[in-house]
Amino acid sequence: MLKTDVIIIGGGATGCGIARDLALRGIPHCLIEKGDFAAGATGACHGLLHSGGRYVVSDPHSAKECYDENIILRRIGEKCVEQTGGLFVRLPGDSKLYRDRFLKSCEKIGIPAEIISSTKALDLVPNLNPDIEEAVKVPDCSIDPFRLCMLNIISSQKRNGIIFIRHKVTEILKEHGRCVGVKAADQVSGEIREIHGNVIINATGAWSHLVAQLAGNEVPLTLSKGSLVITNHRLTNMVVNRMRPSADGDIIVPNEAVCLAGTTSIAVEDPDKIRIESHEVDTIISEAGRMIPHFDDTRIIRAFSGVRPLLKSAKADSREITRGFQIINHGDGMYSIVGGKLTTFRLMAEKMVDTIMDYFKLKKPCETAEIPLEGQEELSGYPLAKRLADMKNIVCECELVSRAEVERIIKQTGTRYVGDISHRTRLGMGPCQGGFCTFRALGIMHEKSIISPEQSMNALRDFLQRRFRGIRFCLWGDQLREEQLVEYIYMGILALERK
Amino acid sequence: MGVIQHDVIIIGAGVAGLTAGAILAEKGYNVALVAKGEPTACLSTGCIDICSLDHDPLHGVSHLPDEHPYHLVSRAVIRESIEKFKESMAQMGFSYIGSPETNRYVLSALGTFKTTCLVPSTMAAAPQDEKDDLHIITFSGLKDFYPSYITARRKNASFSTYDAGASTTMGLATNFEREDFLEKFISWLEKLNIREGKIAFPAVLGLESAGMITKKIEERLGRKVFEIPTIPPSMPGRRLFNALKDYFRKKGGMIYWSWPVSGVEKTKKIIEAVTSPSEGRPKSLNAKAFILASGSFVGGGLTARRDTIVENIFNLPVLVPGQRDNWFDSDYFSLNHGIGKAGIIVDSSFRPKEADWENVFVCGGIIAHTDVLKNGCGHGMALATGHAAAASCMGYIK
Repeated sequence: MLKTDVIIIGGGATGCGIARDLALRGIPHCLIEKGDFAAGATGACHGLLHSGGRYVVSDPHSAKECYDENIILRRIGEKCVEQTGGLFVRLPGDSKLYRDRFLKSCEKIGIPAEIISSTKALDLVPNLNPDIEEAVKVPDCSIDPFRLCMLNIISSQKRNGIIFIRHKVTEILKEHGRCVGVKAADQVSGEIREIHGNVIINATGAWSHLVAQLAGNEVPLTLSKGSLVITNHRLTNMVVNRMRPSADGDIIVPNEAVCLAGTTSIAVEDPDKIRIESHEVDTIISEAGRMIPHFDDTRIIRAFSGVRPLLKSAKADSREITRGFQIINHGDGMYSIVGGKLTTFRLMAEKMVDTIMDYFKLKKPCETAEIPLEGQEELSGYPLAKRLADMKNIVCECELVSRAEVERIIKQTGTRYVGDISHRTRLGMGPCQGGFCTFRALGIMHEKSIISPEQSMNALRDFLQRRFRGIRFCLWGDQLREEQLVEYIYMGILALERK
Repeated sequence: MGVIQHDVIIIGAGVAGLTAGAILAEKGYNVALVAKGEPTACLSTGCIDICSLDHDPLHGVSHLPDEHPYHLVSRAVIRESIEKFKESMAQMGFSYIGSPETNRYVLSALGTFKTTCLVPSTMAAAPQDEKDDLHIITFSGLKDFYPSYITARRKNASFSTYDAGASTTMGLATNFEREDFLEKFISWLEKLNIREGKIAFPAVLGLESAGMITKKIEERLGRKVFEIPTIPPSMPGRRLFNALKDYFRKKGGMIYWSWPVSGVEKTKKIIEAVTSPSEGRPKSLNAKAFILASGSFVGGGLTARRDTIVENIFNLPVLVPGQRDNWFDSDYFSLNHGIGKAGIIVDSSFRPKEADWENVFVCGGIIAHTDVLKNGCGHGMALATGHAAAASCMGYIK
């Protein structure tokens, strides 16, 4: 049995941020995540570091939080934030009144917003629809959510934080009405681990009502599914937003080699049973295509959905629910932190840890806004030159990932999941979506003898089925050709057992 | 440039197109084949799948759904197309083993068994069960072959690694074509003192001379030798393509490479010519008849759009398997994907149904209802329909 002070459940941005904050304040802690880092809403979003513009009219309070955090993250996470800048473009027919309210609210909050002509906007983003009336420039940025989680975890690990990924909390232990620990099952071996702590923080996003239930507690949540599509290449170097109240497909974000566009907003019940539908893909493409006409004939390599864990509200349209967050003290040693956004994860962590410090009657103030994220040098940017130097040993041609990198991750994490390698290297994220390199990555695991034939067959099947779920509704044109080839490789050439 | 007149123009340089072309050329017709690029045959294992649903491939064929294009061809024609194929490949020094009476296995790079019918002689010694003990040879840096997949599944298998100074299948195959390389390699093999009864290689044992190289290793080592097909680029697929192409040319056929068809000239019920934007070469080719063998999606014969599927050369009517939602089954592994049925519906003369043209014939993977992966019928179906379409075309032009 393991003992610690604070148990964090959930390895999304919030959970990882809390781990970092606790580490910097010297509080022993243990983070438990049932999958990999950023597996929920954190990893299933645009990767947009909001300027606040999106919420400036509907929810000025959240907008202000976003802008403040935007500035902080640009400062502490210089290497994992791409300072793209963003545009809100007004198309013919979009309300001028909304634009006026937008500008007024930006001014009030202090978000820098500059009106530029359509000509100037086209200079900045040549692929923009030339018919736009005008644009407003704001300090939107893009951020890699997975990398962000990893960087937060580094601070925790450096200060003896204990991290268990692929461990699912199956039980919350209570004594005399108080939460005293958890039981967590290793998702690979099935082994059960018992961890005791004084406080349990439930940072499980869309799953937080389910985790709270394990302790007999309640979390009032509204779950809203948002779907996104990924393009084969970058169509814009700036974030492009539509100047109108939030609606489907009104944001396009450049991220690494691709663009993400979305989202939709559909109420759902079960966070484990969500699927994207083809009409969502079509809606996003046609709406994004209004801002960047090229979008219509661009290859879409994947579509995915995430679930926003929003605070329960009487509002029928989930887009009107506040993006603010809330800390719930269940009064039995468990706290749940819900709502919020990727952009405000640090602030959420700060408030959560402030609460814990009060509970422990400790005084050390939060430093997460001042100290730069540790380990950025190692993860910095996109070291293309480094990758190209080892061209002969490139395992993933789409994203130029070398064999040495794959071996390093396998050694570091001992993983048997290709997904864990993908998250850390971008292996399999390109146009072929892992069609070729998955066979290779598992082959390397075989060489290292860490995987059995059954495990590798299961891993291949699991990979193909997941991959398929992501691309199923984007299959036409070249992406369909690629898919047919991959299907032929695995079923026809490699004779994968279908079971 | 003046008008160039051929008897028949074939569109597509895959197994179906080259087969149909060779038959017509052999009969003395003036045949030209136009191709945009290399065919998908180059990506294939080189094996000829007739129908993998049953141990007896022809028995399997009889159980295919009524709409399957195999049913437009008699058993006799399927057998004849196989015999003819074996004969012509043997002539080109790339012989095939097997008969249409029974399926066999090749060992896959995952260590599983792939069911097929005819195999290149270099795969003839592949184990047919779990019993054979194997020694696998791999090459350092080769990223598309991991013997551990196989040794993890088979108790009686081990492997050794040779540094051949090349990390791609193509680079290795080119090396094996060199006498000095082969000699050095064989003496390395001899020093290994391999005890196992069979030696397995990823399919990189040369390009033109694979048969001879395999035999030479077998003789020197006193062991059976066989190749394991790799993921693309696949050498056995390329050898198959080269042999078919050379055979077609030997019979008098000609090929216009990098000649993408961009338009057609037509009168009421007749296609007169196909045209291409290629510079410095004939832009328009006339013929009495046209055989469409442009393949399915990967080959480029069909293109899927968001809401429909089109045929790219003659804009023939396409069987579209419903709305996009129905193109794929939710279970990836069911292989019950509607998209497998997409293609051109043909009548018993292999003319496209519900089209205006009387001088267009269709063969190979572009035909509707083939479900190639589900039925394991790729190249076999291309051979049979290639034969049938050529015969039908001859009946029309004579």
